[in-house]
Amino acid sequence: MQGAPEILVVDDNPADAVLVRESLAETSHQSHIYSVTDATEALAYLRRQRKYQMTARPDLVILDLNLVHRDGHKFLTVIKSDSGLRQIPVVVFSSSESLSDITRSYLLGANCYVSKPADLKRYFSAVRAIEEFWFGYASLPKKENDERSSCARIAD
Amino acid sequence: MATVGISNPKSRLRLLLLEEHGIGEDPTVWEMDYDGGALPGDPRHTPEKLHKWLTSKKICPCEPRKMAETDLARKMEELSRSNRELEQFAYVASHDLREPLRMVATYTQLLAERYRGKLDRNADQYMEYATDGALRMQALIQDLLELSRVGREGGKKQSIDCDAVLEEVLRDMSSSIRDSGAIIQHEKLPAVTADRCYLLQLFQNLIGNAIKFRAKAPLEISVAAEAEGKYWRFTISDNGIGIAPDCQENIFTVFQRLHARTEYPGNGIGLAICKKIVEQYGGKIWVDSKPGTGSQFKFTLPAGQPCEQGAS
Ligand SMILES: Nc1ncnc2c1ncn2[C@@H]1O[C@H](COP(=O)(O)OP(=O)(O)OP(=O)(O)O)[C@@H](O)[C@H]1O
Ligand SMILES: [Mg+2]
Repeated sequence: MQGAPEILVVDDNPADAVLVRESLAETSHQSHIYSVTDATEALAYLRRQRKYQMTARPDLVILDLNLVHRDGHKFLTVIKSDSGLRQIPVVVFSSSESLSDITRSYLLGANCYVSKPADLKRYFSAVRAIEEFWFGYASLPKKENDERSSCARIAD
Repeated sequence: MATVGISNPKSRLRLLLLEEHGIGEDPTVWEMDYDGGALPGDPRHTPEKLHKWLTSKKICPCEPRKMAETDLARKMEELSRSNRELEQFAYVASHDLREPLRMVATYTQLLAERYRGKLDRNADQYMEYATDGALRMQALIQDLLELSRVGREGGKKQSIDCDAVLEEVLRDMSSSIRDSGAIIQHEKLPAVTADRCYLLQLFQNLIGNAIKFRAKAPLEISVAAEAEGKYWRFTISDNGIGIAPDCQENIFTVFQRLHARTEYPGNGIGLAICKKIVEQYGGKIWVDSKPGTGSQFKFTLPAGQPCEQGAS
């Protein structure tokens, strides 16, 4: 994969986004992490609307289900039925361990479901394992807008 | 001889006749319009005397039996509603508390990790206390959630072969059974009417306790069942440390335990869950025990169809 991985974290709790950042701070992948706190903002980001016109399309989305209005599932539905976005892998990363949330996420097209561990060490290793799997082992589709994403990288 | 309890909400007079022996058992309630006149001074009356007084006052007791029934039904309804509300509350509280608590726990851990040895010795200690507290609270909330789940999700009523359930539990626990050197004996167990998941939990908690609270002597556990009317009475016996007589009742209360956590790990939730499971099916659970000799945990559950007849 060329360039550092781009990860979009969608989580209504900024403290959780910080934890994801902390988890990946010292790994070899040097992922770029961008975080937004609600579904509307996340969609704008993915569709490069408004202030996101120059941002890179992420290689991976890490999605919390408990967004405002419990919008996580809705967001998943929207991007997995959008032909321009559905190839982006989405890892649901939620504190819910309920079987119905898990099943529903996969039905809606989530690529993977990971429950947020309550213990810090396990939290760190879960996030690192996600990064390692998607960027160390998995093969990903080519991004259609590589030009623009390299522009974005120069820009920031 | 009966005791007469008198309550007077506004102009409605209610007389409660409580049999001397069985206070609270099926009380007879007489309810009638009351003219506000003086009541007889002595609160204790024989029914005959009371009748005489009522007739002299031209008050006619109205269908005492029926009153009692509606009164009881109303009380039951009230009780089950407040029970439901409590369950709901416990669930919501424990569920919604989890998120903020996870933040407290992870961030105190992160603080401790990043700043250990960089502040002063007190600070290190304080962070450790805070982390410990948060983690303990997490465990307790997890348990409360588990407890409130039993009952709220209304267990199924199916005929379940307890023999198969016990086998499964023993298989799941095989490593702790091996480590403790326990010898477990059981006769063929009958089928009961309950939810399979609850039965697994029930046996797992009781056998887990027998293993955890073992004494020095080689551990022997036995499981047996005896018919008792439409119920089966199960007995799980161990030769462990036993339980003092005055503690044998409250160990079934949530978070009640008899030992420091450093001595025996656990939160004190297991038996509370067992009690809730058993009572959901109209059964009872109790313990006979002698400290230093061992314990016999007993519970009753409604009989199921015998498994030879192809019940599932
Ligand atoms: N078989 C037993 N022998 C002796 N004491 C017992 C036995 N089972 C339970 N007890 C006592 O009853 C207490 C309550 O038991 P319970 O299963 O509810 O909690 P626990 O086992 O301590 O914790 P948890 O079940 O949450 O892991 C125990 O702490 C112990 O003191
Ligand atoms: Mg226990």
